[in-house]
Amino acid sequence: MQESKGKIGIREFIAIIILSTGTKLSDDTPTLLFKEMASAAWMAPIIIGVITFIPIYLIIRILSAYKNKNLAEVIFHLLGKFFGFILIFILLLIIFSALVVDSAVYTNIITSMYFSKTPTIAIYALLMIVCVYGAKKGIEHIGSVAWAMTFWIKISFIISLVLTFFHGQLDFLFPILGNGQWELLKGSILKSSIFADFLYLGFIFPFVKSKLDFKKGIWISFSFIIIEFSLALAAYTLLFDYIGVRLMNFPYHETIRYIEAGFLENIETFFYPFWLVASFIRFTFYLYLTAIIFGSLFKIKKYEYLLPTLATLIIFIGLIPESPTFVIFNLREKLLHFATPFFLILPLLLWLIAKLKGDLNNEKSKPFY
Amino acid sequence: MLLNIIKKIYSSNKKIPRFPEKSNKKEIEIKSQKIYTNLEQTISTFKELYSFPINNDVNFRTFDIRSLNKKAAIILIDTIADMKIVNEFVLEPLLNNSNPTGKVEELLSIQAISKVSIIQHAVDEINKGSAVLFIDSFDYALSISVSNIHNRGVTSSENEIVLKGPKEAFTEESSINLSLIRRRIKNENLVAESVPISLRTHNVLYLVYIKDLANEQLLNNIKNRVKALKVDSIQNLPLLEQHIEERKLSLFPTILYTERPDRASSYVEDGYIVILMDNSPDCLILPATFWSFFHISEDHYLRFIYGNFTRALRMLAIFITLFTSAIYVGITTFHSEMIPPDLLLAISATREKVPLPATIEVLLMELAFGLIREGGLRVPSSIGPTIGIVGALILGQAAVQANLVSPIVVIVVALGGVCSFLVPDISMNFAIRLSRYCFIIASGLFGFFGMTVFFTMGLFYMVSLKSFGVPYLSPMTPKYTSSKDTLFRRLLKNEIFRPGYLKPKDMKKN
Repeated sequence: MQESKGKIGIREFIAIIILSTGTKLSDDTPTLLFKEMASAAWMAPIIIGVITFIPIYLIIRILSAYKNKNLAEVIFHLLGKFFGFILIFILLLIIFSALVVDSAVYTNIITSMYFSKTPTIAIYALLMIVCVYGAKKGIEHIGSVAWAMTFWIKISFIISLVLTFFHGQLDFLFPILGNGQWELLKGSILKSSIFADFLYLGFIFPFVKSKLDFKKGIWISFSFIIIEFSLALAAYTLLFDYIGVRLMNFPYHETIRYIEAGFLENIETFFYPFWLVASFIRFTFYLYLTAIIFGSLFKIKKYEYLLPTLATLIIFIGLIPESPTFVIFNLREKLLHFATPFFLILPLLLWLIAKLKGDLNNEKSKPFY
Repeated sequence: MLLNIIKKIYSSNKKIPRFPEKSNKKEIEIKSQKIYTNLEQTISTFKELYSFPINNDVNFRTFDIRSLNKKAAIILIDTIADMKIVNEFVLEPLLNNSNPTGKVEELLSIQAISKVSIIQHAVDEINKGSAVLFIDSFDYALSISVSNIHNRGVTSSENEIVLKGPKEAFTEESSINLSLIRRRIKNENLVAESVPISLRTHNVLYLVYIKDLANEQLLNNIKNRVKALKVDSIQNLPLLEQHIEERKLSLFPTILYTERPDRASSYVEDGYIVILMDNSPDCLILPATFWSFFHISEDHYLRFIYGNFTRALRMLAIFITLFTSAIYVGITTFHSEMIPPDLLLAISATREKVPLPATIEVLLMELAFGLIREGGLRVPSSIGPTIGIVGALILGQAAVQANLVSPIVVIVVALGGVCSFLVPDISMNFAIRLSRYCFIIASGLFGFFGMTVFFTMGLFYMVSLKSFGVPYLSPMTPKYTSSKDTLFRRLLKNEIFRPGYLKPKDMKKN
């Protein structure tokens, strides 16, 4: 009846963020955090949340000042053609490498944990086929699928968390500050680009129904993800101790293999498909974002047609590392460290320029979210 | 071969080869003329049009109207017209009355009389079952509605059975169907608009809606789509459904088909549009969402808890139908570590003697079940039980004893098969059964990973479907104001909104 305008409501928006960023707790991100912060790793998301609060707030502030412009257009507007191009190109490189590295990690999880005999390329190709298919349907449908599945995915996750807490030992949480407060702070700052996805959400700003939905959606999902992440990290510590988690690459999968519920001993079957759906939605969204950024960088209006090409490229680059478990793990850490300064400084820079240009003045009376 | 099939599916008949056709131009010209004042000429024209002596049931009766002192003729098709009424109320008054009067209409003691002045219209009336009275030197004819087309009475619903609630079903006569709806909605705003649809057989459909509820844009959209049809003949609603749906190759149905008048009227009351047609003991409801295929009318007739209990069972049944066989294949082929050792041992013990891989084994049994099901549907009822015995004993028991399949597979397939009957709508039933095969194949190739891939893609496909502009999974996603009657229903006192995706003129139900 009502012709859809390709916009997503707040529920779909929150669902996309929760699934695309929240899924990070189930790959090797926890191991990265445990590496430096030991038993205090569960505090890292909270500290990162405090640190990244300002950049995210600034991003929302800047975007709200320019109606119906996505982040790329705003950057072009503020920095001019040349610097804008360079900056967006770097952002594109970061998200593209993140997509390559992360999809390689997930393929590695699937092959090493569940399908040790199936050729990697088959799994990788299938993963990308789903993502291309989904991304081609557009943001509206990605949001709908995310919303339809979020509830069930989170239910399955909560059950696994509760079971883990039952199996865990509280003593493992000590020493409470791990390697000391400075290590904790340093590690958190370096890894704060874990939440860099929030910067990239600026690129879909015009697709969200209203400015208020965008603000609310970001803050709700931001707090949700911080709590979820902390709980998950605490649960891994309780179950394996931090030394144990350091040795594992994919603590979530070890966890769902370890826990049991009553007479049911192997219950990873109940969690694995939900995790898969979440990761499909995550990469679908990333792929879509990459296509949008690519499209706005090179002025391609029908960016959907880029998706198959991008996906093919991702598969072939992602397949290059010989022993992905180690190589990609290190690559991922480097990438996170590389992206952090951009994530922390870019919003500040944009905000300053916008302020100097006087574009933000009409926003002063708006409520604080 | 596969390529050929795909080509066939995607090619529409755009290039029409030239056939040695015989032109009908002459007859079309005749039919567009006015009725001749010369009776002899009229009769011979009609005899030619109806190929008189060959066409057995066309009846020409000529006589004198004494009161007018003129010759007259009645033409009708006696198999669809009521001869008794014609004799009693038309022929007798005309033949016996000798008082000179000016008007013929006054002589006829029948209410439904109309004037026709073009031959085509007279032909249409005769084809509908009316008797058409031609009088010499008149430039018009009188069509007397005496049609008596045979049909069966209102019977109870056979395919959508409920234990509690109304039992009657639509029948083949659209006027009866309309009266069944009017009996439930006593409101002057209920409109039954007739729209002619086919070029050659002149089928008519009725759009039924409530004028001050149904959205104009939706109504116009449907009307335009129906009027745009250029088809010689559309006999009934199942055929019409395929003509007007948007995605003709889609796995999922987008138009709801029901034979229950109570269901149709409850949809009309919500602002939906119902299509009725002669020769169809059913109706089409548009637009339809996934949930309308999932619901049955009894959900609301049963008390709140019982109704939701059946909904829960139905949802479970859909999941079992879709996934059990695929899960079995996935577990035995890829994920044997996922099941408890005892169960694993039990399964592997039964599979020990079976020579086939699990995927083939399950597909084989699914196919057998499909065959029995289809066979049972077409078998004459007198030999029906035989099929049941053959199916159950030979294909189940004997196949296990012959070590062709393992007993667990029989259980798994039978469970899925039985659960598939809980899906009430026949189109959705097919959609789910066909997806089950896809899930089995996906699971056979890539285990749970393949299943999830297929599931996610299916979900993406489903959310992108639209039925006359309404998203398939609404009001769940995208969200619209509604009574939230999706997976579970609310208390009746809380179901106060009409579905927002229809944009009805009045949102709140009181």
